[in-house]
Amino acid sequence: MFSTVLLFREALYGALVIALACSVIGVYVVLRRIVFVGAALAQISSAGIALALWLAGAGLALGGAANPTVVSLLLTLVAVLFFASGTRGRVPPDATIGITYSVAAAVGILLIAKAASGEAHDIFLTGNILGITRRDTLVLLGVTVPVLAIHALFYKELLFVSFDRETAGTLGYNVRRWDLLLYLTLGVVIASAMQFAGVMLVFNFLVLPAVSGLLLSHTMRGVFFWSVVSALVAAFVGFSLSVPFDLPSGPAISAVSGALVMVSWGVRRIAAYG
Amino acid sequence: MAPLATFDRATLGYGRRAVLTDISFEIPEGDFLGLVGPNGAGKTTILRALLGSLEPIGGSVTRAPTLRFGYVPQRDQVDYSFPLKVLDVVLMGRYDRIGLGRRPTVDDRRRAHQALEHVGIDRLADRPLADLSGGQKQRTLIARALVGEPNVLVLDEPTNGMDLVATTQILGLVRELHDRDGLTVLMVSHALNEVSNYVERIALVVEGGFRIGTTAEIMTEHALSQMYGIPVEVNSVEGHRIVVARRRTDEAAGSRV
Repeated sequence: MFSTVLLFREALYGALVIALACSVIGVYVVLRRIVFVGAALAQISSAGIALALWLAGAGLALGGAANPTVVSLLLTLVAVLFFASGTRGRVPPDATIGITYSVAAAVGILLIAKAASGEAHDIFLTGNILGITRRDTLVLLGVTVPVLAIHALFYKELLFVSFDRETAGTLGYNVRRWDLLLYLTLGVVIASAMQFAGVMLVFNFLVLPAVSGLLLSHTMRGVFFWSVVSALVAAFVGFSLSVPFDLPSGPAISAVSGALVMVSWGVRRIAAYG
Repeated sequence: MAPLATFDRATLGYGRRAVLTDISFEIPEGDFLGLVGPNGAGKTTILRALLGSLEPIGGSVTRAPTLRFGYVPQRDQVDYSFPLKVLDVVLMGRYDRIGLGRRPTVDDRRRAHQALEHVGIDRLADRPLADLSGGQKQRTLIARALVGEPNVLVLDEPTNGMDLVATTQILGLVRELHDRDGLTVLMVSHALNEVSNYVERIALVVEGGFRIGTTAEIMTEHALSQMYGIPVEVNSVEGHRIVVARRRTDEAAGSRV
């Protein structure tokens, strides 16, 4: 069984890198209660991939303009600027997120339906983990390493503006700029992971590992640690089960991630009564 | 000595909509000022203008170059789902001094412990913030404000949602910080009865109206009745002022509680 998994080891490495990047940023996504911003960004990112495929099919590709990751990244960054600006007049913030999610999902499906490449619609939902190559993994690492370096370097600033933006503002922090940095790293990670992991798995990695972390630890350091560990375990176990049993990798990893949240919840309950 | 902050005929509001007009007052060093008024009257607008997050529409708000605020937000502004220990929260008060991208030093931690000791909860330094009582959380936020070595302590509704004991303890602590350490204090509150017994000056904000003076000047039946637009009584019980709206029957009988 393990030898079969090894045949797809490049894909496994890619899944582990995606798990690492998403599970770190996911801690902020969950704590700042912007889970559905993550979902909307993931959906917009997938619409970007659809747009790239449609452009390529229609013969409108100009150089890198139809590269799915490039188009997805550009579209996601526009959405990041929109969400980070924070002011939407009389429309409630969650309604704005809902509109963005819904329109992005519809546009993505419509573009794919008319794309000449004939990609299946569900690839955007479930992703194509097995299709990850060594080059893809290196690109993913090229995105993940600087993003994690930014988060390590500016940990206390990102934490402060997330925890108590008002007080941070009185101490001279430009809260909007720090918000923008956080959203930019979120957007870059989502856009780079989307093509391989799909909306479902990216959203899963942004939320579930962080929830496991919060259930297992009372400190920020512990939450980050357990979030990363549970994402890596979910990626490894889910992937390893999906290959020999001929299951789609994304949903298999998501299912394991869900099981880990249940285990974490159980551990928390036992610890509370112990 | 130059005042720490000066409002000079300031018009304050959002966009073009003025909430308060022609506001003039100073905050001198060593002041103990209560900014008091009902919710929605404009206290937060004045506070934002003072902190610099709101530019005046007209007039000016000037802050001394040396001015450094120690801000204590309303307790519900802080998100207690963050897994932070009390000491972690207090250290945030030094983040801007520590500098961008750098970590707290041993000295920063020592100062954070000192600040916690100052407010009487150093024993709770390693406890999760979420596990504390309302009063202990408020003390943590005050310690965070103090650890940044401010020259003005600004507290926004510090006793909101607290019981009588916790309210008395927190207000007592704030007065102690003023009396013992000579700290300039601005306390924003809707609770006139609580604040008026602790501060030295009161800025009263009621429906666009603004009046500032010593506690003795503001806490008169005439001044308060004029500001609130209803007849009020100022009673004294064991040295504590208690303001009550005069009921019709009281008015008819001319009685007092």
